[in-house]
Amino acid sequence: MKRILLTLVCLALAGIATAQNTVPQNVTIKAMDGTSVQTSVIQNDGKPIIISFWATWCKPCNRELNAIKEVYENWQKETGVKLVAVSIDDARSATRVKPHADGNEWDYEIYLDQNQDFKRAMNVVNVPHTFVVNGKGEIVWQHTSYVDGQEEELYEVVKKVAAGEPIEEAAE
Amino acid sequence: MKKRNNRIVLLTALCVAAGAVSQAQVLGGGHVSGNVQLDGQISKADSVIGSTNVAEKLLSNMRADVLYTNGAISAGLRIEGYLNPMLGFDAKYKGVGVANYFVSYQRERLSITAGNFYEQFGNGMILRAYEDRYLGMDNALRGLSVTGRPVNGVTLKGVIGKQRCYWDYGRGLVRGLDGEVSFNSLIKSLEGSKFHATVGAGFVSKYEEDETVNAEQPGYKLNLPLNVGAGSVRMDLGYGGFSLQAEYARKGQDPSIMNSYIYRPGEALMVNATYSQRGFSANVQAKRVDNMSFKSVRSESGQMLYINYIPAITKQHTYAFLSMFPYATQATGEMGLQGDVMYKFKKGTALGGKYGTDLHINSAIITGLDTTRVGGAGTYGYNSKWLKCGDLYYGDVTVEVAKKLSSAVKLTATYGYQVFNPEVDGHIGNLHHNNVVVCDLTWKVNKKNVLRFEGEWLGSDSKYGEKFMVGGVETENHDRRCGDWLMGLVEYNFLSKWFVSVSDQYAYRDGIGNYYNVSLGYNYGATRLQIGYGKQREGLLCIGGVCRQVPASNGLTFSLTTSF
Repeated sequence: MKRILLTLVCLALAGIATAQNTVPQNVTIKAMDGTSVQTSVIQNDGKPIIISFWATWCKPCNRELNAIKEVYENWQKETGVKLVAVSIDDARSATRVKPHADGNEWDYEIYLDQNQDFKRAMNVVNVPHTFVVNGKGEIVWQHTSYVDGQEEELYEVVKKVAAGEPIEEAAE
Repeated sequence: MKKRNNRIVLLTALCVAAGAVSQAQVLGGGHVSGNVQLDGQISKADSVIGSTNVAEKLLSNMRADVLYTNGAISAGLRIEGYLNPMLGFDAKYKGVGVANYFVSYQRERLSITAGNFYEQFGNGMILRAYEDRYLGMDNALRGLSVTGRPVNGVTLKGVIGKQRCYWDYGRGLVRGLDGEVSFNSLIKSLEGSKFHATVGAGFVSKYEEDETVNAEQPGYKLNLPLNVGAGSVRMDLGYGGFSLQAEYARKGQDPSIMNSYIYRPGEALMVNATYSQRGFSANVQAKRVDNMSFKSVRSESGQMLYINYIPAITKQHTYAFLSMFPYATQATGEMGLQGDVMYKFKKGTALGGKYGTDLHINSAIITGLDTTRVGGAGTYGYNSKWLKCGDLYYGDVTVEVAKKLSSAVKLTATYGYQVFNPEVDGHIGNLHHNNVVVCDLTWKVNKKNVLRFEGEWLGSDSKYGEKFMVGGVETENHDRRCGDWLMGLVEYNFLSKWFVSVSDQYAYRDGIGNYYNVSLGYNYGATRLQIGYGKQREGLLCIGGVCRQVPASNGLTFSLTTSF
């Protein structure tokens, strides 16, 4: 009984959080050249950023990143958005992340999160999990799973963020 | 005792969290985030698929992570509940409590975490504390972790702790040190260069009290090492599109139940070479693992308390029939080779057509070691030849072609050939030779409606019920994955938030079972709800080469996940 009560208190604590969630700055991830970097490197000069958690073995993740690839140049021209693809592949397939991205002709900024520190810090349970971050580093929208065509919804959000308009479907 | 501990822990954590919150108000910042997952299952007996009645009627697993962050400080708490554990999860998980808590300070040059933490040195061959909720696997270390980055490009890590084992902690003490140098960050002139190089080395030591274990020779007791060390060196070199990664690990004498208490030292080597450019990539991986099972408690034979992780190098298949016989890493000894090629036929070429065509070929072969027995418990165990392969464990070739047929229709066709040694995962019989064909078609009807069709066929020379001589006894093969199979799946995604899917897997020859499934799901933002009804085959659920045996189930399942 006491435990249940305490659990509720914890959940209530979560409920009262009013501050906008921001992207943590000091989590260590790996760049494609093998160097360890802090998540503070995820920057885009005040323009929107899409952070997409994915894995080489995740089919919907690949469908999403391949669909965005077709329109990425346009998105960049129109909104200045940058896509940061964070791979949660572990030692089994981490060495295949770069060949996988090159083979698919992805021009995204790619990082490895082998120890899943960034994944935990961002409360990602399953992949794909996609975030839209505004120029101040605040998470304004997020979504899990992917169905063909949903990249258009994502882009609607990115356009609003680029224009400084509010997002109705705020980060939950 | 355990209950009281839990309560104290919870109260302490709560006080810490409350303290942090009140301080945050003073500092004017900080936020709380988290995620919640709830899974449930109702299952009835079905003798054909081998499911049994669940006495509790309803089984459920739940979990909530709450994370508080304020600048460089963060604190987290995880509540887990298994009332009672779902099928395939160990009964030792039964109960509710605080499974994980930590306080962490993270700055550019220094990170300190006290409490539960996860860590990996290199590929994890000497240390990897990690968790996977779907595998019911959590070997988090509880203790202290310190990471220092004294200059750009240099990372030093130190960890000490005990490992989680269900609701308890193993008695073995794990200590580790690791250093890594990235020359591209260390040397200014190398920044942005085509060349890159990172080298690293780590050492892990385990301490465990003495106990009585009898040697093979009657009347003798083993003189067990109380401290067991393991070390590894690694490198990552690259130039332009080429890269080469290698790691070599060695472990001292570590008699345990996993290696039948032999005193042979362990070793493992993993090498990976890659070339890639836009639209083409090739990669070759090789590994040799000899007696590298490394646990913090020598008598633990299950899936818990692993200090290290030996990754599988076979491709992680996702289609049902390609992953029907998944490969599980054999940390006690194996050799393997894997190759992977991706090529994109350009738009407007003969094979590329209007939209381009993707070709992906992957092949792997895994064998045991070629060993000569020296003796049992208390001896060196065996000798093995370095470059000589033993029995075939697993082999596969997969060819996948993905092509957009029109602006709305996409087709992925896959052919796979697999050879599988049933003895590796505890079954009986000869090598299985399987052919698998998968057709996956997606049709984007319009902006908000998407249909997906999947058809699969598996042809195998294995038979359910076939008789084999095992240890002089005639035994029937009761592996319900055997035989020839057909599968169909239709999935309809509508209003961009809902999906419904219907599927059936049917053993049409030499097999047993008809596994139908209906499921309905809803995705909104970071929330996902899924309800399913149908039959689930018994089998292995594998993630990263680590597997969990899942018994058959017949009934209703539901799952809710959300992040906030």
